[in-house]
Amino acid sequence: MMGITESFGAAIHALNTTQLTDGVINRSKRMMLDTLGVGLLGTRTAVFNKALTYSQLFTCEERSSVWGKSEMNLPPHYAAFVNGIAVHSMDFDDTWHPATHPSGAVLPALLALAETLPSRPSGLDLLLAFNVGIEVQGRLMRFSREAYNIPERFHPPSVVGVMGSAAASAKLLGLSPAQCSHALAIAASSAGAPLANAATQTKPLHIGNAARRGLEAAQLAQIGLEGNPAILDMHHGFGVYYKDYSPSAMAASGAFKWILEEQDVAFKRIPAHLGMHWVVDAALAARAKLQNTIGSFDLSQIRRVTLRVPPSKYVNCPLPVTEHQARHSFQFNACSALLDDKVSVASFSEAHISRPALRELLSKVKVETPPDNQPSFDKMYCEVEIETEQGHSHAARCDTFYGHWRKPLSQRHLVEKFSFNASSVLCTEGVEGVVEVIGNIERVTECSVLALYLRMTSNPQEELHCVNI
Amino acid sequence: VLCVLQKTIRHLKAVRGLHKPAVEVLKHPAPEDTVTASFGRFISEMKPQHLSPVVLQRSKRMVLDSIGVGLIGSTTDVFELALQHCQYMYAADDISSVYGRRGTRLSPTLAAFVNGVATHSMDFDDTWHPATHPSGAVLPAVLALSDMMPAHNKPSGLDFLLAFNVGIEIQGRLMRFSNEAHNIPKRFHPPSVVGTMGSAAACARLLSLDASRCSHALAIAASLAGAPMANAATQSKPLHIGNASRLGLEAALLASRGLQASPLVLDAVAGVAGFNAFYEDYVPQPLESPSDGGHVFLLEEQDMGFKRFPAHLGMHWVADAAASVHKVLVGVDPGTVSPAQVQDILLRVPQSKYINRPFPESEHEARHSFQFNACSALLDGEVTMQSFTPAAMSRPDLLSLLRRVRVEHPHDNPANFSHMYGEVQVTLVGGDILKGRCDTFYGHWRNPLTNESLRKKFRNNAEVVLPSEKVEMLVDVVEELDGLGDCRVLLSQLQ
Repeated sequence: MMGITESFGAAIHALNTTQLTDGVINRSKRMMLDTLGVGLLGTRTAVFNKALTYSQLFTCEERSSVWGKSEMNLPPHYAAFVNGIAVHSMDFDDTWHPATHPSGAVLPALLALAETLPSRPSGLDLLLAFNVGIEVQGRLMRFSREAYNIPERFHPPSVVGVMGSAAASAKLLGLSPAQCSHALAIAASSAGAPLANAATQTKPLHIGNAARRGLEAAQLAQIGLEGNPAILDMHHGFGVYYKDYSPSAMAASGAFKWILEEQDVAFKRIPAHLGMHWVVDAALAARAKLQNTIGSFDLSQIRRVTLRVPPSKYVNCPLPVTEHQARHSFQFNACSALLDDKVSVASFSEAHISRPALRELLSKVKVETPPDNQPSFDKMYCEVEIETEQGHSHAARCDTFYGHWRKPLSQRHLVEKFSFNASSVLCTEGVEGVVEVIGNIERVTECSVLALYLRMTSNPQEELHCVNI
Repeated sequence: VLCVLQKTIRHLKAVRGLHKPAVEVLKHPAPEDTVTASFGRFISEMKPQHLSPVVLQRSKRMVLDSIGVGLIGSTTDVFELALQHCQYMYAADDISSVYGRRGTRLSPTLAAFVNGVATHSMDFDDTWHPATHPSGAVLPAVLALSDMMPAHNKPSGLDFLLAFNVGIEIQGRLMRFSNEAHNIPKRFHPPSVVGTMGSAAACARLLSLDASRCSHALAIAASLAGAPMANAATQSKPLHIGNASRLGLEAALLASRGLQASPLVLDAVAGVAGFNAFYEDYVPQPLESPSDGGHVFLLEEQDMGFKRFPAHLGMHWVADAAASVHKVLVGVDPGTVSPAQVQDILLRVPQSKYINRPFPESEHEARHSFQFNACSALLDGEVTMQSFTPAAMSRPDLLSLLRRVRVEHPHDNPANFSHMYGEVQVTLVGGDILKGRCDTFYGHWRNPLTNESLRKKFRNNAEVVLPSEKVEMLVDVVEELDGLGDCRVLLSQLQ
């Protein structure tokens, strides 16, 4: 009887391209495209620039691309690091159920690694490794009930993300089953960052570090480093990150089904914590009702705004000051929607956050956590009720926002989001090139061609200019 | 009182129309009053004059021991592997020295990494109470950072020692926040939890960051902390210390560039775990500013344990107990014990799964096995570095003894380095029973190694990789460290 860790190592090694179904290929390509787009946009953030400056301390014979930079490259680990940070810098990246941001931990590591491999992996190799990295994350989260709810202790990408990156990197490197197991064991010692750093500038580093350290774990395993061969089997192994832990083995053959086939991801329309999407959709709907009733919309007529949301301390922020806090604030996102009739990338600029009209509206917000509103991205809802000075109430409820896995973004809207994001950094040829390559990734002979497009910036001078969005 | 206050506020609110969020602000502490901020202030205000003579003396012993074990550790497989990894991935940066490797330098965080791996590679490094290996997480980072600083602005020996002690102190303070930390660990390997924080604190001190950046360094480090116990007793364990050192330095460097993280990471906030994510129970306390006077370093009150042989601390109790039985068995003349004499060996030790291994298969497992260390000491009279070689581990006599071992966990033997004991009871074939017991092994903080013993250990270690002139230089330089104008004298002797 194979141990659980052993079964994971065997599966990572054995999974092959013939097992990729159309459904999984389609979904994972959407994830790759979205990830690249949000990553490119993220290369203009302050946190990305700090990480980049730091990473430039290091030199290496092998160099990998930094997304959105035409002239620069970094050692592969640091390319994975900064690109991963870029992906999560604005909280704009994909979200899965159970909750984590799976792609940002995996894709940056794979692309950085692919650029250095003499074997010159194909698009299909990349696609397979990517899906291995996603699958392992999904499997690990299903080992505990704790993982199904909005987190309280460890930030999930820091727990499962590094494992996914290690698995994906091990796959692309073609490691043996034993080496794949050891990659997971080594990665486990790099997992786990506390949730308190969410809603701060350090949060994006959780994804950046997951990508980097998973890649490192695979490379250490490649040169023979060993960890505990039963790391996933043990409570004092990977189980330390969870209060309840019930692992099970992974089969690579026979009736193998990708989790992604059964459970899609959500793509964000707003660069904010996933929970904000419900409250924004509800706020927009309530606003429309108010508008229909009284005609022109006048903020001063609002006496109170009540939000009915699931209990989750780290996204309950009445008066956010930084952009990071604003992205993690039910109150802020509801009020932005009410004020501007939309919430977009621009809503989180310092100027927007500090508007007196917005602060005024924020002071009128009350938050309730009804007992039937569970802190789970699969089950939660948000209600927004606007009470006017005249005593009238206009309420709306959102159970499933557009972009959620139950109501996926259309392909057109997904590509639109990508193009909008990527155009902030790349020229048209670059933008279209990425769409083209990802769209046909399974037929691309050398996946590192992607890097060429990711470096086709629109204005080399603009690269030096960091825009705080 | 709070209720009364709230009622008052509500009344005022009606009169003056106060915003509701203002009430919430009153319920939350001002940023400066948090535990996290107090730690940041503490680190930034710490000065050389705050180091007492006792602390200077004890910490210099730690620096010497740590360098020695790091030097010997540079001969291990795991070190070689880690070094290869760093050199393969990164071209040589002419900056930070690698222990025992003449001419080999790496980028600062990578030098901290490999030197940390070396330090813990043989489980030969210092151990404190509550349990962690404090120096290996801090010293490599402080050395690497000192190498990084410009030639005209190197830290003095005293600055160096100050940073080192800040790194140790912060670890001690953090461990006192939970009861869980006082016992032999079960979940997270302590050096991976507090070691990273200590390294960040020490580097923040050496970089002279302001109080706010010191706090952020700690918070950034918290996101890099934590590795599971399951990787102890494996080849990956030394990387816990290597990474603690490296990532703490990284956190400080990122903080110095302005990266920010949670200002409440050390405080206990319900529903959002910070540093308390790593503990089941957690009650943080603020640190008073050293400028107020009256701060006493934990090292002053709680000394360090140094190991006499390269194995988990718990092994030292059973080794000493078994050695006393060995002495009785061989009588006046030295000799080996024959397994044929022995019918049964009973060990009475605390309950701790990861050091209870009847038949260890690797050197890493052997260093974490009550049974192995007891039998080695019973056979040879002592446990040494050579006890863990493949040849020694596979001796038929040793295996014979191992087969005769039983283990008991008496209720009065807690899994705690301050209170545990080790008992070895050997029943001979003739029926005689010999018992050895050790409450405090030589090297434990209650029975510290003499300076002579410590230096002997250092010389034995360092002479494997360095010429004797350098070895003696190191002994002298560390002894005089607090008087050195420039720590370059230390930095240049490590390879």
